[in-house]
Amino acid sequence: MTAALLQGSRAIADSAIAAGCRFFAGYPMLPFTDLLEAMSAKMPEVGGTCINADSEIEAVNMALGAGAAGARAATGSCGQGIALMQEAIAEAALNEVPMVVFNMARGQQDYWQATRGGGWGDYRTLTLAPKDVAEAVVHTQLLFHLADTYRAPVCLYGDYLVAHTHMSVDVAPIDFGPLPDKSWALDGTAGGTGHARQIWTWAMGRDDAPGPGPDVHWRRLAQKFATMGEAEARHESYRCGDAEWVVVSFGTAGPFIDYVVEELRADGQRVGSFRPVTLWPFPEAALLEAAGRARGVLVYEVNAGQMIDDVRLALRGQVPATFIGGVSIDSSGMRQGDLLTVAAIRSRVLDAIGVGAGERR
Amino acid sequence: MQIEVLLTGIGGQGVQLCAKALAMAATADGRQAMLSARYGGEMRGGQTEASVVVADTGLRSLPILPSAGSAYVMHHQYWPPVRARLRSGAPVVLNTTVIGPPEDLDGASEFLTVGIPATAMAAEAGAPMAAGFVLLGAYASLTSVASIDSIVAAMTELVPAYRREHIQANEAAIRAGAAAIEAGAADLWVMAGR
Repeated sequence: MTAALLQGSRAIADSAIAAGCRFFAGYPMLPFTDLLEAMSAKMPEVGGTCINADSEIEAVNMALGAGAAGARAATGSCGQGIALMQEAIAEAALNEVPMVVFNMARGQQDYWQATRGGGWGDYRTLTLAPKDVAEAVVHTQLLFHLADTYRAPVCLYGDYLVAHTHMSVDVAPIDFGPLPDKSWALDGTAGGTGHARQIWTWAMGRDDAPGPGPDVHWRRLAQKFATMGEAEARHESYRCGDAEWVVVSFGTAGPFIDYVVEELRADGQRVGSFRPVTLWPFPEAALLEAAGRARGVLVYEVNAGQMIDDVRLALRGQVPATFIGGVSIDSSGMRQGDLLTVAAIRSRVLDAIGVGAGERR
Repeated sequence: MQIEVLLTGIGGQGVQLCAKALAMAATADGRQAMLSARYGGEMRGGQTEASVVVADTGLRSLPILPSAGSAYVMHHQYWPPVRARLRSGAPVVLNTTVIGPPEDLDGASEFLTVGIPATAMAAEAGAPMAAGFVLLGAYASLTSVASIDSIVAAMTELVPAYRREHIQANEAAIRAGAAAIEAGAADLWVMAGR
């Protein structure tokens, strides 16, 4: 297969289908709308189903149902619509239903939503934040694999730049290895298979087959999320080895930070870049390793300061963290504003590390 | 090796379509491309800008370009923000029917400007709406960023089914633009290699 120039949304749709996704439901909301359109164009070609639901709540519950029946299912929106979906995402976690949720966010203000969630109970949502279209193609397939591996809802944190940028990409199925079977999936039969229409019975089971009870269920789920937290943290670092200053960013901001780091390195500044690829689990140990000997960590995110909480937890007070991001939305309201430019980032980094105007190139 | 082009104009001139055709053509030529579009309000007459980055291997670029090495200018109204990011000496193809002679463009002396009466040539060819393709043909021929045949093929793929009757005129526009200037006169692959 050769590379084709694809819009990010279309590349993600192709990648989801390559991963075996055969059910998708959503409600239009920019910049997510393009993904819904791409899915609606491509799903029929592979015998899959794409539904333009009447609301985000309907869409996520359709995906929950399809996932419960064993399909590779997905839904999505931007942060505003994902807010409506929180209850169903928590139910999917509780019922151990795998599904993928695409947040094609209007910026970087959904970090807490992605990493803390707004549903009830002890659950986490594994979240991958791609830096560009090419990485989003890989992340999409990885998410379907991780959802099935852990029987859990998982998220992709994209944005306008991921959804709308076109890149030459080659979308082919990626083999991430074997998966557990889906013998738990509902089959809708009335034939006494035990899988007719309910996955979770508060772990109390039935009269003829008592379950372990809710306490055991919740303990087991907590253990599962702890295991995910240990095993699935991913990160990327750039020139942190001898860095006096490490700039932490996520998603599409990452390549901008790398660019600024390269420029400042050429000017003799010892700066490095660190990007959590998984927002949850946050790569705490890797950040401490990368920045533990630095003079300071600078946190760049296009919001009022959300990820900085996780950065500070990871640094355990050993290295000071300074916020250099901020709220910045462009006039369309659909994407980050002018704070996400090389010039603005460079200036904030130089301010933070104490390089005066007179010493700048 | 990597080449960036900023494309600017006003809504309705086909700038977004031409940017996509260029990026698709470069991909078809076996290169890697990134296309980023930014347009305000998606309306006729409003600001429309796109950037295309083409690399022979290992494309590594930001979707919001800090600087660029060439430009395609259909209209001068939103030229200042493009000019601010252009590197000195960059080839700039411009639509002289709308803008006037190249020296009328602010800061023209900083760049290698090449004027093409794109709107007039498109009208002569009986396809006034294809002015953007005339300028694209000229840009591609001048800079060698993508082959003319690949641009024609990309345009053919991009034109929707209900507009197929325009394909022939669009192709004529692309080829007329390409023929209007010396091919490879500012070959950006060669210039980047220096």
